[in-house]
Order: sequence, then C-alpha cells, then structure tokens
Amino acid sequence: MAVDGQNIPAKCLNCQAALTSPLVCDGCHSLNPPPPGIDYFTLLGLPRTYLIDEKKLHCSFLAIARGIHPDRFVGASDQDRSLATRLSAELNQACDVLSDPVRRADYLLELAGGPSAAEVREVPDGFLAEVMTLREEIDQAKTAGNNDALLGHRESITDRGEQTLRQIADLAESSADLDEPNRKDLRRLLNSMKYYDNLLLELVENPLGSEHRAQAR
Amino acid sequence: MNEMREIIIGIDLGTTNSLIAYADKAGPHLIAGPAGEEDVLLPSVVAFDDAGWVIRIGNEARAHAVERPRTTVHSIKRLMGKGAEDLTDDLHRLPYSIERRSGEEGRDVAIVKIGDKCYTPPEISAMILGELKMRAERHFGCPVTKAVITVPAQFDDAQRQATRDAGQIAGLDVVRIINEPTAAALAYGLDRTEHATIAVYDFGGGTFDISILRLEGGVFEVLATNGDTHLGGDDFDHALIDLFTREIYGQFGVDIATPEIKQQLRTLSENIKIRLSVRDSAPVEIAIAAGRIYRRTITRREFETMIASLVHRTIEASSRAMKTAKLSPEDIQQVVLVGGSTRVPFVRRRIAEVFRRQPYAALNPEQVVALGAGVQASLLAGLERDVLLLDVTPLSLGIETLGGAMGKLISANTRVPCRASETFTTFKDGQTNVKINVLQGERELVKDCRSLGVFELQGVPPMPAGIPKIDVTFLIDQNGILNVSATERRSGQTASVQIIPSHGLTRDEVRRMQREALEHAREDIAVHHLIDVRTTLEFDLHKAEQMVQRFGQLLDARSRGAIMAEIRELREFAKTCSDAHILNDRREAFNRMTIPLAELAVTASLNRDDKSAGQVPACGVGAEGRENNDGGTGEPILRIAES
Repeated sequence: MAVDGQNIPAKCLNCQAALTSPLVCDGCHSLNPPPPGIDYFTLLGLPRTYLIDEKKLHCSFLAIARGIHPDRFVGASDQDRSLATRLSAELNQACDVLSDPVRRADYLLELAGGPSAAEVREVPDGFLAEVMTLREEIDQAKTAGNNDALLGHRESITDRGEQTLRQIADLAESSADLDEPNRKDLRRLLNSMKYYDNLLLELVENPLGSEHRAQAR
Repeated sequence: MNEMREIIIGIDLGTTNSLIAYADKAGPHLIAGPAGEEDVLLPSVVAFDDAGWVIRIGNEARAHAVERPRTTVHSIKRLMGKGAEDLTDDLHRLPYSIERRSGEEGRDVAIVKIGDKCYTPPEISAMILGELKMRAERHFGCPVTKAVITVPAQFDDAQRQATRDAGQIAGLDVVRIINEPTAAALAYGLDRTEHATIAVYDFGGGTFDISILRLEGGVFEVLATNGDTHLGGDDFDHALIDLFTREIYGQFGVDIATPEIKQQLRTLSENIKIRLSVRDSAPVEIAIAAGRIYRRTITRREFETMIASLVHRTIEASSRAMKTAKLSPEDIQQVVLVGGSTRVPFVRRRIAEVFRRQPYAALNPEQVVALGAGVQASLLAGLERDVLLLDVTPLSLGIETLGGAMGKLISANTRVPCRASETFTTFKDGQTNVKINVLQGERELVKDCRSLGVFELQGVPPMPAGIPKIDVTFLIDQNGILNVSATERRSGQTASVQIIPSHGLTRDEVRRMQREALEHAREDIAVHHLIDVRTTLEFDLHKAEQMVQRFGQLLDARSRGAIMAEIRELREFAKTCSDAHILNDRREAFNRMTIPLAELAVTASLNRDDKSAGQVPACGVGAEGRENNDGGTGEPILRIAES
C-alpha cells in the first residue's frame, strides 16, 4: 500500500492481515513499528498538503491512539509496553505538529528540503525595525496606563500575525514545487511568527478577569 | 490482550486521608476498613514509639498525635520527592524532625528522624500503602500486588517517582500513576454520553490542581492543567493557628508554640472550619497555663477575609489554565469539585463567580479521586470499556546549558507520552562519560528550576573531543515520568544511562527498602495484631467503666476498687506492652474479673427495665463542650482544655 510515495508495509508482522493503519493491526491488535522516514501526514492517513481537514485529523488520531496507548498494554510484554509508549509519543508529536498551522507549514518546508531555522535565521526585511518600534510604543503605553492604546496594539498585532500566516499558507500550499528563493522567503516568514507570539504574550488579558473573548479551541 | 483478569486496585494517597477502591461492571466501589462500611477514609498518619518503631497507622495514629506530636507523622505527602532545603516554609510547622540525609554530595533527600531511626518519605508513605493493601487483601481474600496510584497533576518527576517507589516498598507494582483531576473526571464522566468541556477544581489538604478536559465518547482529553503544590486546606488551618498564637501572645504574653499545643490547635482549626461551613460563627476557648482562658468567637466573615488571598491564588491558577486552553468561562459546561476544602462556602462562591455557574457538587469530594482510580484500575485490568485517557505533562522539561540557562526541550501541557531529542558531544579527548543536568520548570535560569538529577551517559567509545555524536532521547511516559535513552551515532552503541536523582531514591535503595519491609512484614503483622488487641482492650475497659458508673454501687467497695485499679493499671500497661499475646491474656483476665459486676448489671437492668444506654461524655481535644454552651448561639464551644 503506497500513499504519496510513502510505503506502509502491506501486512501485519504478527498475523499477516492487511494493514489499514501503519502502527497497529485492526485484526490482532499487534503493534507494528513504522518504517523509517515515514512522514506525519502518512502516519495519520492524510494527504501531504497545507490545507487539512482538522476533523479528519482528530478522528484519525483518536482511532490510532486507541490502539497504541500504553494503557492497553499493561499486561503485555516489556517490549510491547515500551513500544506502545514510543509509538504513542511519535503519534502525539505528529498530531501536535499537524494541528498547528505554523508548525505544519514549517514541517512541509522541511519535507520540501528546507532551509531550517538554524540554517536561515533572518526575518523579512524591515521587520525587526518594526518590532523594535512596536516594543517602545507598548512600553510607553504601559507606563502611561493607556489601556486603549494597548488594546489597539493587541488588535493590530493580531491582524498582522494573521496576515503573515496567510502569506505563509500561500507558499506552504505549493511547498513541494517551490524554488530555492521562495523556500527562503517562507523560512523568513516562519521565523517572524515568534515575534508576534512574544508581543501578544505581553498584551493578552486575564480570561477570567475582563470581558476578553478568546478563540475557542 | 489480557487473558486472565488480574486484580488491580486504585489508591488515592492523600495528604490528609487515603482511600482504596476497585471497579467491576457495576462501577467503582470503595474498600472499607475494619470498623465497618463507613470506614473508607484512612488518615494518612503514622505513629511511632520513642525508639522509632511504627506502632499505629490511621485513625489510631491520629488520636496518638495529640499526646505525642513529635513521634507522629502527618502530611508526609508534602515531603515526597523533596529535599530538606525545599521545606523552609513548612519546616517550622511540622512537629516532627526533618533533616537532610547525610553523607551525600549533590543529593538532598529529606528524612524524618524519630528516635534512633531515619525514614525517607517514600518509606513512610509505604506504611500507609501497606495498610491499604491489607484492606484490599482482606476484601478479596487473596494477595493484591498491582495498583494505580493518584498524584496531584502538578507533581513533578521526582514526586511521581517517590510515589511509585513508595508502592514498590509496600510490595505493590504501581502499573500506573494517574493525575487526581483526571481520575475525578473519569469518575464523573464515565457513564455520561454527551460531549462536554469541564474544569476539575481540586483543592485538597496540601495541593491545588485545576484541569480543563474535553469529554467526548469515552475520550478524556486534558486540554490544560495548572495549580500550586504548596497550597491546600492545611493553609486555612495555619491562618487560624497563627491568629490564635498571635492573640494569645498579645493578651497573655505566653508563647503557645509547643508541639503538643500545636497539634491540638490543628484539630481545633479543623473543627472550626467545619463549624463555619454550616454556621456563621464559632465560639472558641483555649486554656492557657495557670487557669487563664483565651476566649474568642470567630465569625464566618472574619475567616473568609483570612483565607481570601489563598483562594485568590486558586483563581489565578484557574485563569492560567483557561489561557493555555484558549477558553473562556462560557466554554466550560461543568466545574467539578474535588477535595475537602471545596466544602468551604467561600470557596464555592468564588468558583461560581469566576466560572459564572454553580459548581457540580453531587460527587463526594473526598471519595471521587479514589473512585476514579478504581475505574482506571479496572480498565487497565481489561474490563471491556472503550475509554481513552489523554493527559499532559504539567511542567516544561529541559537541560542545563552553558551559562546557567534552562534549555527547554518539552513544553508544559504537552500531551503524554511525548519525546524530544538532543545531541551531545565530549569536550576532552578520550572522554567516555557525559553528564547532563535535567530540570523541570518554567523559569529561565537553572537555579530557579527543579533539578531532577544528573544523568550520566556511560560507555561512550573513546574518541577525540567533539567527535562523538550522542543522540539522547527524553521520553515522558503516560505516568508523567521521564525515561532517558542514548545512542552514540557513529558506533551505534547504546550508552547506558545512570541516574543520580537530586531528591529521590536510586533503584538499589528502593529494592533494599522493599526487602527490609518484607523482612519486617512478620513484625508488621504482629504490630497489627497488637493494635487490634489494644483496640479491643480499650473497648472492654471503656465498657467496664460505664458499668461501674451506672451499677458500681451494687458491688462491694473492695471489688469496685479492684476493678478501677485494674482499669488504670491495664491502660498504663497497654502503652508499653509490645507483646500482643501477653496483652490479650491480661485482657481476658480482666474480663473474667468483671463477670460478677456484669451479672449484677444485667439483673438490675431487667428489674428497672432501663432502656437508655449510659451516655459517655465526649472527651478529648476540640470536641463539643458538655455543659457550657455559648449563651447566644446555643452551640457548644470548641475548646482546648487545660491538660
């Protein structure tokens, strides 16, 4: 069985039944270690694209998790217990990465050949100067106790972040076909997201205090 | 997977009380102790004699604490996974002696010193677990060796390891460590089919946890967890104790800080808390030496002012959890209350205010965690249920980097099991060992985080400095406990990982303690037998006293005197006698001695047709007063009498 060029072993190592999921056999419930180099999308039975069906991701995750969670293997051999823990960690990692749009885009870039954040550390031109100016304005507003200004900053930073995310999405959607300059652009945009997160951390209100309305998960 | 259904029990090892449960197709059930069906709480208290040998566990130990606070250990959970240096705040409050275990570099294991003996916290917790294990074995009529034990969600790796070690020392294979709020959610949500997002507000004796979970078709998914491991109902008691200590010093110039008085104050404070949960005020009397009496009425409003800042800390932690989960109060359908401290009306009011709904209080807050543990135990034993528990690690995990900064590898609130990898190398030619300092916490600097221990990677093939590539995998398992494995990439060799825990026991130490516990098991059975005989003896003496009070005048003075003298003498003897057979022989001799009186009593009762049983006045500390009522309320005064 091949999905997007990835190969899942066709048969369960234990009972030889056809495998529908790479980690665990529906028939005999045995654990099957994934082939090396399998990517997170294949692990979760999803096509390798930026746009994903979040419901399908969640369902797929739960279906596999039920079969490999260590709680299912309390009476099993040491080897199986250890394998269940390792496979669950791998599955959780896959789900965490694919659930978050920024990490998902980052992962798609990695699958397309990079560059990684260690290889290209820069952010888009002029971005750092903007961040520094913003930081000063926020500090001033805090000292002055100017809540309106702070609220305004929070809204505009959130908007900017969403804008950048849209640019990231556009590039990530065709990540497999990007040339090197475009992949570098994507990396720079991804590097800038950290700054938005840090700025917002200083501005977000106590959800149990004011009338702040957060996005439901 | 499991062909044979093994018995696995669920244990709530609490700061104040411990409970044990199991579950079958009908649901979870608590296992009771020897005093009957209602006897489901085992106080987490262990009493020792002056030489340091265990003599009482549970209710008996609690009673013992009043007279002998220095040799009675309570709230040992607060010391699990800790070193002596962690306890500066709590230290002066605990009446028993706590020290740092001597003779070790780079390790700080707290020990409790009683007489000549030293006990580590897991050893003392093991005594409590041993008692629970016995109750389970009595119930099932066969050995019980596997258990699920609950811990506060905020417990770090060392505290979880210490809990598992305690189990092992007691002869229990702890197949799973489960977080208390998650266990409560399991007990709450097991038979509910509707999808819901709930908050579990768990305010126990020593810790506070808040967890936000999503319940959906048998899946219990923790979205976020937060809390405070140094915040509990004990702190409410401390606020009251501090008040009395201050005011008594101010009024009488007397410092009532002896361990004996402190223990009585603790009991008094507990009773005040309970009284103020149902009444608006509590009158209090404390006898100081030389006939002086401190009198005070505590009002509910006053108490609420005293605890407001403590409760506020729980609200702040709740807010942090909501932030992590990216939710507002409207998104939460239910707030489930756990822990005795949630009985305090002020706490419930504050919860209702911030979550904008009345909390769910239909489950017994002291039992719900044990019941959930029982359910989890039955799931692990293979009871057919389609339940999945997806929990998270409460703290960030990292390593010490150059310059004393904490290099984060795994973030707090990451779903477990989870893993992270890091590559290390050597800095000297031919170096075969690499040491890593592993930490948990949210701060930037190593010194502000919690060191789990030094992990030493051994067996690295000797190579020039900087050449080896040691891939280390940090894996946090479903128990929230860290496992470290390492491979040297070039040679493919697995490096062995030796762990020197900062505040915990090594595997060798635990094995040794387990062996010692087994060796003492015979003695422990004898101790239990002794406790049983003592309990029965006290019951017999008490009954005899009642009989003498009501019918003694029917007996001649000499016989009456002899019985009273024997009662006094036997009570004294029971305090020091350590041989159950000897004590039991004397008990039986005493009962033979009182036969004539008993016969007279029966005859007299038949003649008088006396239906009422003699009311025995309550005795002891902090109990309801007998004659003096508080003129205003008509409620008995809570008092500490002069001893």
